[in-house]
Amino acid sequence: MDLFEIRGGTLDVIAEEAEHQDLSRDSTIMADREARPPRGVSTFQRFSVGTNESLHFEPCEDSLPSPTPPEDELDDDNVFREGETEGEIVTVRNRLQGKVAEMENFAGHLEEIFLTVEENFGRQEQHLEQHYNDVLLTLSQRYDERAAGLEEEKKGKLEALYKQLLACGRAMDASKELIETAQKVYRSQDKRLFLKAVMPTIKRIEDFAKEEVELTLSTSLEFNTPLSDMSDVKTMMDSINVVPAPSAPVINPQMPNSASQTSLRVCWSLFSDDTVEYYELYYRPVLEDTPADSSCAPPVSKVKVKETHCTVADLLPNAQYELWVTATNTTGISPASEKALYMTVPSPPVIKQRECTSCPEAALIRWESGNTNPVDSYTVELSEMGTDATENAITESIVAVPTCQCVIQLQTGRRYLISVRAVNIGGPSDRSEVITVSTTGTLFYLLEETAHSCLSISEDGFTIFYGDEELPISAMALDDNNTFSRCVAVLGDLIPVRGRHYWEVEVDDGTEFRIGVASEDMERNSYLGANNTSWCMRHILTPSRHKFEFLHGGCSPDLRITVNPVRVGVALDYERGTLSFFNVDLEQHLHTFHCNFPKYVQPCFGLDNPGALTVHNGIEAPEYAFI
Amino acid sequence: MSLTQVSSNKCAGGFQKVFEHESTELRCKMKFAVYLPPKAETGRCPVLYWLSGLTCTEQNFITKAGSQVLAAEHGIIIVAPDTSPRGCNIEGEDESWDFGTGAGFYVDATEDPWKKNYRMYSYITEELPKLINSNFPSDPDRMSVSGHSMGGHGALICALKNPGKYKTVSAFAPICNPVQSPWGQKAFSGYLGSDRDTWQAYDATVLAASYSGPPLDVLIDQGRDDQFLSANQLLPDNLIAVCSEKKIPVVFRLQPGYDHSYFFIYSFMSDHIKHHAKFLNA
Repeated sequence: MDLFEIRGGTLDVIAEEAEHQDLSRDSTIMADREARPPRGVSTFQRFSVGTNESLHFEPCEDSLPSPTPPEDELDDDNVFREGETEGEIVTVRNRLQGKVAEMENFAGHLEEIFLTVEENFGRQEQHLEQHYNDVLLTLSQRYDERAAGLEEEKKGKLEALYKQLLACGRAMDASKELIETAQKVYRSQDKRLFLKAVMPTIKRIEDFAKEEVELTLSTSLEFNTPLSDMSDVKTMMDSINVVPAPSAPVINPQMPNSASQTSLRVCWSLFSDDTVEYYELYYRPVLEDTPADSSCAPPVSKVKVKETHCTVADLLPNAQYELWVTATNTTGISPASEKALYMTVPSPPVIKQRECTSCPEAALIRWESGNTNPVDSYTVELSEMGTDATENAITESIVAVPTCQCVIQLQTGRRYLISVRAVNIGGPSDRSEVITVSTTGTLFYLLEETAHSCLSISEDGFTIFYGDEELPISAMALDDNNTFSRCVAVLGDLIPVRGRHYWEVEVDDGTEFRIGVASEDMERNSYLGANNTSWCMRHILTPSRHKFEFLHGGCSPDLRITVNPVRVGVALDYERGTLSFFNVDLEQHLHTFHCNFPKYVQPCFGLDNPGALTVHNGIEAPEYAFI
Repeated sequence: MSLTQVSSNKCAGGFQKVFEHESTELRCKMKFAVYLPPKAETGRCPVLYWLSGLTCTEQNFITKAGSQVLAAEHGIIIVAPDTSPRGCNIEGEDESWDFGTGAGFYVDATEDPWKKNYRMYSYITEELPKLINSNFPSDPDRMSVSGHSMGGHGALICALKNPGKYKTVSAFAPICNPVQSPWGQKAFSGYLGSDRDTWQAYDATVLAASYSGPPLDVLIDQGRDDQFLSANQLLPDNLIAVCSEKKIPVVFRLQPGYDHSYFFIYSFMSDHIKHHAKFLNA
């Protein structure tokens, strides 16, 4: 079973995918003509990804591909029509990319299964070998025992017989001796000796004759062969035929979109013919810094299930868990499966309302991850609000957003509902709270972290106050590189889009203000308009009159304005390179700076004497603002 | 009222023409220049009346001011009349360059021998518009006025004396307070007599103080190095003070390095035409 063959071969089309075949085949043909897909395989595979057809990535050069090819589609003659085919190529390419990733995942899983099956069989082989080895060992042990026993017996019998033999020999010798003695006595010429010796000798012969001669064998000639007890060998042999303990199951990798914030759906399978009574699933969280000694390791939880799947609940969001499973039957418990790592889905992000900005063509959304640990990416979803303020289905998703912010291209003069999801291997989180974005005019909040310490900002974030009280010196200590230290000013968080932006500032006759724009990198210890990185309209109050300056690089044209504006309109046009100021109430043009603004600029607001001003934005620019 | 075309040159996609006619107010033949933008071929266009300054004719503006490209872009007809009646043979009319020929001061003279011909105010405000509206594709409801120096004075007084007639007004180095300036005093005493009260009817600063009418939006450019400014002929401060008090919206720009010439006018003409376009094309 060569994995590379699997990879190179064609996977079967699953019935449910067949309906997509016709639609996609055309695109596939197109794709083949225009851009070869990475492998020559069919683009269908077992694990389908629930992606939205209108996928697109960060706003970029690619145009949005249309979800389905138009009905009057391919005249092959015009296959090389630029826009359409490009869009289709992009769709197909994205789909292919997704499916290639899925296939690789699948191939990896197959590899694991292959290895596990190999292992399982290996173990079964081993098990068998061992079993039989055990049996053989036992048998040979028995044999040795029996042989030794027989040997012993033989020795014993031989010894006994030998003893007997010796005894017989001795007896014979004794008899012989006696007889010889008797004969000697009998033959003795000496009658007196004879008479002396004859009676004891006759006695001895009588005694000897009375002696029973033991003529029976001391031992039997038969060997004792007890029945050998082979029952244990029998059980061992029997047990070979008995159902073995199961082999290790194979735990599946995590299926996309199967997890929730607090639960995981785990699946596994058994790649052998084992009978299984139940499974036990073990799991424990994987901690960031696992100490070397296992004494502090998190506790392992266990669930007993009969099916080959289980939903584990009460888990932490955006957390990685290690899971393994064992199978048990009457014989015993299988070895544990490989450990699989699963992740729960993250918690939903939290959109930071005050850090979102918009303009007629786009919106910049910023959010907090909502998770302590990193997630893989974010998905931004938006839907356009209908005129009757009903919510339409999600019209667009932007996936694979790597950071906690996203610039979205939008249509002018509409209202959108935007939400964000955090995504990790486990799948997407729930939707964050929705934020409403209106593409009428330009909307921004003030960057409070840039505000001079004497400046306080109203709760709604649009009015600034320069109070008359002396600030304690300790407050100055809070200043950092980002706050204005001399000019009592604050910057606005304008969306970095090089289009047209318009906002208004409400002041009163007595307010000495500086209103305009500044580069993001303007020196914070400088005054607005006094450097080359800011442009502003300045109102100065002298004892006798009102003076207006339009400052840049410390210089201003010499102007007289007869009616003091109390509502100043500011119009920034990046493309034309203009920054214009208007008296909104009179629709009167006051002055225009011409500069090509190489860097992004931000609205700036400063007060030169105690007073207040209010920023109004999200207003559609009046016609005269961008003539 | 018949018109005779004197010249026609294609310019910036439109036509710069000069016409002559017999003026009823001025009782003499008068020339005026008309620029017709490309848009005039297909529809009615608003009209900007340009009043030139001392010693000018209808030629100076159309050859030196660089107005045609912007006029074409915004679709505005520009009418530039002469600065006084010509060939009337009035005694003393050619004695000075700042009184008589080429120095009509846009008043209706009441003194002899000027009162018969020197009726530039009525010519500009009555006869000329009627003539233009009957002979050219102009929109009679949309007109505005501008000028330089003496013409600036003329533009300001026409606008202030005719609330609502002109959609807007602008000026280059205008004589803001003729009653206080040597030029004005010379001209007014000649044309209007010694009763200074009669002069006030033609003084922008005075008129501003009593202006009541639709809101104006005035743009004034003044060269800082203008010799006549330093000679106290122009007196813009007086006008600004009055307008500040009376809340008449004025944006007055002092342009460093610029003098009284057409080079100065040329440099800021586009700003003025854009200013007029805002109101004429609204």
